[in-house]
Amino acid sequence: MADRKLSRLMQAPAVILLLTWMLVPLCITLFFSFIRYVLASSIRPEWTSPSIENWRGFGNYLFVWNNDGFWLAVYNSIFIVTSIIVLTVVLGLAIAILVNRTFPGQGIVRVMLISPFFVMPAVNAVLWINMILDPVLGLQGIAVGGLNEVVATLQDAPLVGWFFSLWPELIPISFRASQTSAIAVILMVTWQWTPFAVLIFMTSLQSEDQQQKEAAILDGAGKWSMFRFLTLPHLARPVSIVVMIQAIFHLSLYAEIEIVSRGNGNKNLPYLIGEMATNNIGAASATGIFAVILANVLAVFLLRMISKSLME
Amino acid sequence: MAIVAEQSRFSRVFWPALAWITAIVIFFPIFWLVFTSFKTDADAVKPEFLFTFTPTFENYANMVDNYDYWRFLKNSVITSVFATFFALVVGVPCAYAMAFDPSRSTKDVLMWMLSTKMLPAAAVLYPMTFLTKNFLGIYDTKFLVIVVLMLVNLPIVIWMLFSYFKEIPKEIMEAGKMDGVNMWGEIKEILIPLAWGGIASTALLTFIFCWNEAYWTVRLTTTDAATLSSLIEGNRAPEGLFFGRLSAVSTAAIGPIVVLGWFCQKQLVRGLTFGAVK
Repeated sequence: MADRKLSRLMQAPAVILLLTWMLVPLCITLFFSFIRYVLASSIRPEWTSPSIENWRGFGNYLFVWNNDGFWLAVYNSIFIVTSIIVLTVVLGLAIAILVNRTFPGQGIVRVMLISPFFVMPAVNAVLWINMILDPVLGLQGIAVGGLNEVVATLQDAPLVGWFFSLWPELIPISFRASQTSAIAVILMVTWQWTPFAVLIFMTSLQSEDQQQKEAAILDGAGKWSMFRFLTLPHLARPVSIVVMIQAIFHLSLYAEIEIVSRGNGNKNLPYLIGEMATNNIGAASATGIFAVILANVLAVFLLRMISKSLME
Repeated sequence: MAIVAEQSRFSRVFWPALAWITAIVIFFPIFWLVFTSFKTDADAVKPEFLFTFTPTFENYANMVDNYDYWRFLKNSVITSVFATFFALVVGVPCAYAMAFDPSRSTKDVLMWMLSTKMLPAAAVLYPMTFLTKNFLGIYDTKFLVIVVLMLVNLPIVIWMLFSYFKEIPKEIMEAGKMDGVNMWGEIKEILIPLAWGGIASTALLTFIFCWNEAYWTVRLTTTDAATLSSLIEGNRAPEGLFFGRLSAVSTAAIGPIVVLGWFCQKQLVRGLTFGAVK
């Protein structure tokens, strides 16, 4: 068939572009990961240019492997992605079921619910960390301050004063530190992506077979068993898609981490690589290769999981 | 639905009320951003002006002086429009061939394309900077941003188009072939008119993704090609000193896209789930 050739030709530009985009920088990273290469060094100026003579073998990999910061970043990456996925799926399901009914103003409610998804990630982070979570100037600080004031006034009140004097003074939490910045990141990304889950689950709920449900009611099925045996299986596919899409997007989370803690807080893998790349390119590249391996393991796993439902 | 039991009065009021409250809570941060943008920088951090204040437009009026807003907006619009356009130019023929003339490897190629999205961008950041700065000399140009945005979104574009094209009956295309229309004619005369809705929603979503992209656009530009993402990330520092003006410029950066998003909710679901959820 002559068409076969034409068909190949039509796919060629996309395949070649993506292959180049994937392979060329990756090969350079691979090369850098095996040499000593730093951007600035007064003691060993010969290391500042990428050259095969500075071959280090697996030295960079060993350096990274034995680095606590690396394992912490791996842990943070997985912790952040998993938390976001679990939260968005659970919240998304609850909200989708809640909204999936006719009530006054449902159109407006849906528009409000979906809006966060379209907010630019940089704006999302700036908005949350400054105007909402800031311990002094943000809403958190203002709320905590206000509460403390109310309690202080009540302590002077007759009769109930003794009760309120037992209350400790509330202290606002700073979300820019290393114990809490991951929480802030999880919070803001969950806020942004829950609408996405809601939208997909809602669409899926609307396509549920109503006749099947009616038949189940006639058979005396309870609400819970209907949810458990009809709705949940029906939602299996949208859930797996929500998980996959989010894994794709959140493994490379960067802007939020950068804006929230600027390196003082929890770092994930992309952030750690970026930080290393300000000087030690060799180590950054080795970390990058580890990140690629991690992503590939996940990709194979996730794509297996959903390839069937996508290809139908 | 007559068979479903009458809802009690309680649940008729309670669940909608809960739905409204949830929506208001979720929308609140956006409301707060817009609300704060009408306060002066000084008022924005004072608890006594939390809800009562004299609204002002000065943050918007000064946006150009404070942030050089138009330049970033122009860059965002240009790069997003062209990246979307080129992604479609490359994506439509590819998805067309995959949908109407699939070979044994088509499935694997599609999966491979999707897997390129999972590659951590950070792993190749330095090589990209190195290549574009030292070898190609295109660092911080709109051209580079357009190319990168196009490549980043190409897998999703092809997937979305593929899922739309797949639904067009093959017979229609075959009929075109009988009439002696060649392949390009087929695309132009039959496919594009039939799949117009799908192509348009793909374009819309790609545009939104390009607009919001915050990794490559920030890290491969400095001044000339910097987009709105760079503007916001670059001005995150002043911690509270400039809540008012920061809110105004943030509102101006997300406004067009959020409104655009409202109109394409349905397409979003279909597009992002590649037609697996309808």
